[in-house]
Amino acid sequence: MNAKANKNHVTSIEPAYYQAVTEAIRKEAVKILKDETVVGVVGYLPGRRQGTASPALVTTVEEAEKLIFSPACVNNLSVYLTKAKKGVLKQGKVGIVAKGCDMRALAGLMTESQLQREDLFIIGVVCPGVYGFGVERTGTLTEANIARKCRECTVHMPEGADVAAGTHTELADLTPEEAEEMARIEAMPQAERWAFWKEHFSRCIRCMACRQVCPFCYCEQCLCDKNRPQAVESSPRPAGNMAWHLVRAMHLAGRCGGCAECERVCPMDIPLNLLNRRMAKELKELYDFEAGLAPVDKGPLNQYKEDDDQSFIK
Amino acid sequence: MPQIITEQNLRNLIDLLVKEAKLVVGPKLSGSVVLYEPLTAGSDLTLDALPRRSSKELFFPICEDILSYKRENGSMKVTDVDRSQFPEAVLIGAPPCDAGSPAILDAVMSWDYKDEFYLERRRKSTIVGIACTKGDDACFCRAVGLAPDAEAGSDLFLTPLKDGSYACKAVTEKGEALVAAHRNLFAEGAGGDPVPFVDQGVGKLDLVKIKKWLEEHFEDPLWEKIADICVGCGACAFICPACHCFDINDEGSTDDGVRRKHWDACGFAKFTNHASGHNPRDVQNKRYRNRIMHKFKYYDGKFGKTLCTGCGRCIRACPVGIDIAEILETINSKQD
Repeated sequence: MNAKANKNHVTSIEPAYYQAVTEAIRKEAVKILKDETVVGVVGYLPGRRQGTASPALVTTVEEAEKLIFSPACVNNLSVYLTKAKKGVLKQGKVGIVAKGCDMRALAGLMTESQLQREDLFIIGVVCPGVYGFGVERTGTLTEANIARKCRECTVHMPEGADVAAGTHTELADLTPEEAEEMARIEAMPQAERWAFWKEHFSRCIRCMACRQVCPFCYCEQCLCDKNRPQAVESSPRPAGNMAWHLVRAMHLAGRCGGCAECERVCPMDIPLNLLNRRMAKELKELYDFEAGLAPVDKGPLNQYKEDDDQSFIK
Repeated sequence: MPQIITEQNLRNLIDLLVKEAKLVVGPKLSGSVVLYEPLTAGSDLTLDALPRRSSKELFFPICEDILSYKRENGSMKVTDVDRSQFPEAVLIGAPPCDAGSPAILDAVMSWDYKDEFYLERRRKSTIVGIACTKGDDACFCRAVGLAPDAEAGSDLFLTPLKDGSYACKAVTEKGEALVAAHRNLFAEGAGGDPVPFVDQGVGKLDLVKIKKWLEEHFEDPLWEKIADICVGCGACAFICPACHCFDINDEGSTDDGVRRKHWDACGFAKFTNHASGHNPRDVQNKRYRNRIMHKFKYYDGKFGKTLCTGCGRCIRACPVGIDIAEILETINSKQD
């Protein structure tokens, strides 16, 4: 369903909406834990500081009754099914709270045989958006505090979930900051574009938070951790930083679901999602493919077709 | 006699120090973030926000060359870095949670092995700390024994006054020397009312009690509960004023290259990976436990200091909202 079709002129999403979603999530989580449909539910619990939330794996009814959904529920929880929580899936079916952008990651992970649909119970969230970094956390979502990625969201309504929490609602008339920024960069001469990224990557401290929160960075052995021989310089210096971010962008092409977690968690404010968006655009133009809208057998970059476009070979 | 310095004279001081060929480092807007960077003029200094990375990098750079090597006529020539070339430096505008960190790190850097890269920079530096009047609910410096007006680590300490000037206190001889060398920029007098401090979200913690609990709970379900959500990145350690783990890598070719020392973090899965393939901290809860133990037990046990200044950076930056102050409060409230 295209959420834009019945867009109304909402300028703020009030706490009552998130409260309603919270109630729906709790009800569903309690139910599936009680009837033993799942061994646990990955969702969000409130943080100590006002207007914050943390991911959590809840395994009891008591804990499930504390789950929340608010604009502070920024994380893409699917990362817990591929890396940190590998052990959980082995114990049985797992419930997961998923916004539209997280659903895209789940679909992508199914495409890559990292997850089986039957192992998951997906509590989809009809999400009007979440907070950006460093904004005022008042409980009400407005143009002033919404995350950049949410301004151009096309998946407010999660497709393919077992249940959906919430009803359709979204902010109207948001400025597409990311699209505008990407257009600005694309219009730059190549040397200027190079300088733009060089400057950004020079700040990278190689904390690897971008890699660690990415649902698709699930390789057991990352190229960047390899030191015999060293494939990419691991010290935080311009050459290795540039190599790391380019490797990552290429590796995510045709796979990234656009959750923009890499950009959100970057302590150095590197606009990493611009790279992801750019690669997604290439995939759309070259193969008419958008990652993660639904599970597919194979993505365009891991199959060969006789009629593939060869024009890039010069 | 107490002294005051106007904001303009503070900026003039920076201009003068730059002219004297000193390395002057302070909070500066760099793109969209404020970082401790070399100031080229007094106008570069911004005191509006806590810099995203701590000031430890003045002494413990994110990455530094420690030697270079080159094969020449069949034999390897190794060249050390000439540490005598490190510049005289002034760190200016660091709040107590940053200014206090070298005073903590000196202990480990001059312990069984003397890290001359760090120590040489320390010898050549003067720290001008500033009382903190910003702060938010991630701050917890009071909880770990510091305070928004703590002078620990500062050579010269500034307190912002309501009229926009700063009360100055020379804490060490280095601080006195800095004032003496630029006497005309300072005026004698007690100054006016200080700008008030912001309340912090965490109360005073009993660090002795916390240490005792840690000593008795190497194994505890708490570690699993926290590490359940930790994704194993190094963001918390890298932006921490007190974390000081580093790795050493030879980068280049077998004929020509550089040995580099750069930041490392206990959150990384390979942090303690042995050459044999064995990893004693093979899962995240053991790694997160080590983080807490190192800061609040091991370091205290060895050096009598807490390895945390309560700056709250790790809380603000954690991708998954792990809140070290909340963990400390939890431990503090435990009865057993």
